[in-house]
Amino acid sequence: MDEKVGKFWDHYVTKKASRLFKEEEVVFTDIAKGLKIFYHLLGGEKGKELHITDKRSIKTSRTLLEKFSGTGKTFFLAWQDEKGIYLPATLAYFPLKAHNEMHYYWLIAMLANVNIKRKNNTHENTNALNGLIEKYIGFHEFYTYAHHYLREHYPELSTIEPSIEGSSADNYPNPLWIYPSLSTSNKLLDSGDEEEALRQNDEPRTSETLQMKKKTEQIEDKKETDGLLLFLPESIMSLMEQVRVDRQENDSYDEDALYNAEDLEEITLGQKDANLSARIKMDLDISANSVEEYPLGKGHFIDEWDYKKEVYLKNYVCIKPIISLHTQPIELPKRLQKMMRRIQSELDLMELDRIKRDNLPYGDEINIESWIDYKGHQNRSNHPQRFFQTYERKIRDMSTLILADVSLSTEAGITQEIRVIDMIQDALMVFSESLHRLQDRFAIYTFSSIKNTKVNFHIIKNFKEKYSDDVRGRIHAIKPGYYTRMGAGIRESAKILAKQQSANKLLLILSDGKPNDVDRYDGRYGIEDTKKAIEEVKKKGITPFCITIDIDAKEYLPYLFGRNSYAVIRDAKKLPKVLPEIYMNLTK
Amino acid sequence: MSKTYYLPQGNEVELFKAAAGMNLPILIKGPTGCGKTRFVEAMGEELGRDVYTVVCHDDLSAADLVGRHLIDENGTYWQDGPLTKAVRNGGICYLDEIIEARKDTTVVLHSLADYRRVLPIDRTGEVITAHPDFMLVVSYNPGYQNVLKGMKPSTKQRFISLSFDYPKAAIEKEIIIKESGVESTTAQKLVDIAGEIRRLSDSDIQEAVSTRLLIYAGKLITKGFDPYQACMHSIVESLSDEEDVLDVLEKLISLHFTKSLHV
Repeated sequence: MDEKVGKFWDHYVTKKASRLFKEEEVVFTDIAKGLKIFYHLLGGEKGKELHITDKRSIKTSRTLLEKFSGTGKTFFLAWQDEKGIYLPATLAYFPLKAHNEMHYYWLIAMLANVNIKRKNNTHENTNALNGLIEKYIGFHEFYTYAHHYLREHYPELSTIEPSIEGSSADNYPNPLWIYPSLSTSNKLLDSGDEEEALRQNDEPRTSETLQMKKKTEQIEDKKETDGLLLFLPESIMSLMEQVRVDRQENDSYDEDALYNAEDLEEITLGQKDANLSARIKMDLDISANSVEEYPLGKGHFIDEWDYKKEVYLKNYVCIKPIISLHTQPIELPKRLQKMMRRIQSELDLMELDRIKRDNLPYGDEINIESWIDYKGHQNRSNHPQRFFQTYERKIRDMSTLILADVSLSTEAGITQEIRVIDMIQDALMVFSESLHRLQDRFAIYTFSSIKNTKVNFHIIKNFKEKYSDDVRGRIHAIKPGYYTRMGAGIRESAKILAKQQSANKLLLILSDGKPNDVDRYDGRYGIEDTKKAIEEVKKKGITPFCITIDIDAKEYLPYLFGRNSYAVIRDAKKLPKVLPEIYMNLTK
Repeated sequence: MSKTYYLPQGNEVELFKAAAGMNLPILIKGPTGCGKTRFVEAMGEELGRDVYTVVCHDDLSAADLVGRHLIDENGTYWQDGPLTKAVRNGGICYLDEIIEARKDTTVVLHSLADYRRVLPIDRTGEVITAHPDFMLVVSYNPGYQNVLKGMKPSTKQRFISLSFDYPKAAIEKEIIIKESGVESTTAQKLVDIAGEIRRLSDSDIQEAVSTRLLIYAGKLITKGFDPYQACMHSIVESLSDEEDVLDVLEKLISLHFTKSLHV
């Protein structure tokens, strides 16, 4: 009974103490996308990611009630570092949802204007907010309101007057201000840059570790009830490490990995972790009638460009064409059928695009102009009697090769359930369906590489094969591979396209990042080789076009493809919808 | 007739005059609504030459430019096209959005755009030598990505090229005030909004807000429209159909021209 009362009391006091408006709360994830665009609108750096911040504890004068309840010690504050900007997960200071939402936009605007390199935080914040107030009436209104409201209703935050020189801004948790990054605000860490770097590296993994902690806790609980000690939580951690499989060698996978995986309740996987390859291999192994990757021949060699020596390394790269056997033919999935119906209306518009042919000896209609020409001609006997015209469907005379990068990085998650590779698969299905309906000729290949000795070049559909359920089956069977030796993939595709007879040839490259491989094919070397490959493509009369989901691509794609030959898609989930649209725009 | 208003952004006026003096053709590149057409019209007035504007499309045939036979009660007669008119009488022939025209159509320009300056008309057997005041000007928007379209290099290399972009903030402000009659502070806000929207990458919106749209917004405001509404209708809705982009743009406008939160 005592416990119950205590709990109730605790609940009551905490509720009383937190004067936040939970009903009017605005959640970061709901508006994150808009916030990001807004950040770019106001001139924020494009490379920075938006994150949710952790609590930070700050000494402050607490109300009596808060001292009782234990709240008010920690605050969610907005801050930034070189890599990203960090915002509270929810905001609910104000009684109106509109104001809470505005609070987010205010923080974004502040983040875009505060210079993180400056030491004097108070000064920076005051400058930034004065600038915003002056420029935007909307912000002026919001700030005046918010400033007063916070002072009145959150007295512990009311020490937000721009402080006297010398006192640190850290003591004043003002929800409208931007704070220095956690690592720099911590005086203890000021000593070494190295430590700071380490800390920053750790940050993206916080959630992962958290999850792992949770798991161990759960196991501990179980242990208590069972009274049976099967294994120590520590051993789980070491198992997790063992699961890491050397991804450079295809055949030597750790046989224990599968066994271990069964033992573990859940394998927590983060982005771009080596563990992933283990999972892929497990996937392959579990299904009995698994898809077989059948090599077509022993492979052949092509050149690569070495920018340092400025020569082609002759027959340096080994291309291995592979086709997947025993794939299940599948129909277009339901969710994509829905999307197709929407795209169909746009496709119809394309088909209406017909061309008039006149001066024909026979045809659908009389062309009055050619008849007048004939009548007006001095020497009629010499003039051809071609008085007809006809409307034909425009022959687009177009061959398109889609080259998809299926390196390991495509395994990365967009959301909990969806990975990049899933979106690439969906996009390829919708795209091939669209091209099929347009009756345009197309082929699909994917590639991934391990050094120059092995560039896997998967055939999904070549130009001759008819579009069928089998093709979709093969798209469905696409698995993330290894690395991105982009130059090699492009050269091989160009070779195939060059053999096509069409007047217009398009090479669409679907990518998710910079070219890279485990050997020196990284950074400048990879970029230069890819650039060279693109130049070769253009010389062959093929138009290259790159579609990427890498936000930072603006830094290198203009250099590789030229200013108008690429598209960056911010939201990978839109890929299936956008890909056919880009194609139609390109060929309209 | 009142003089067409044009505020130079750089050396384009001098270049145009020099080219006109030397009988050289001009190619103008630039995004939509940045003042290409206005520039040509203004230069036509300045030089005292007529401007024959042809907006190109993919069904445009050589006959549409050169001319054709027509019928009246006396039989057939020849009617000059806009290009032929300019070639005969002198004047500026302005082909807008030239890449929209089929490549074979633009080939008729070749003999006019180099030292020969003649226009052969095969239907009448005539070869017209261009009037000394004849000038050829073409324009296109390089922003549209398209594989099938584009100018042939052989056409492109017959022109002196001018590259246009949206005017600088101060100039754009002056243009907006002059064209729409809004007061200075409002014009400044419109320019600010444009500056911010133009920072967005092309994956979010296909093309950034043009000076023309800003002038439209200004005109609506001068007519007594609420500035917020004016911007929504003239700027935001024209730029995108995507809801999340629209939301953010709406937010941006509401910050500049407040739609009060307390209402």
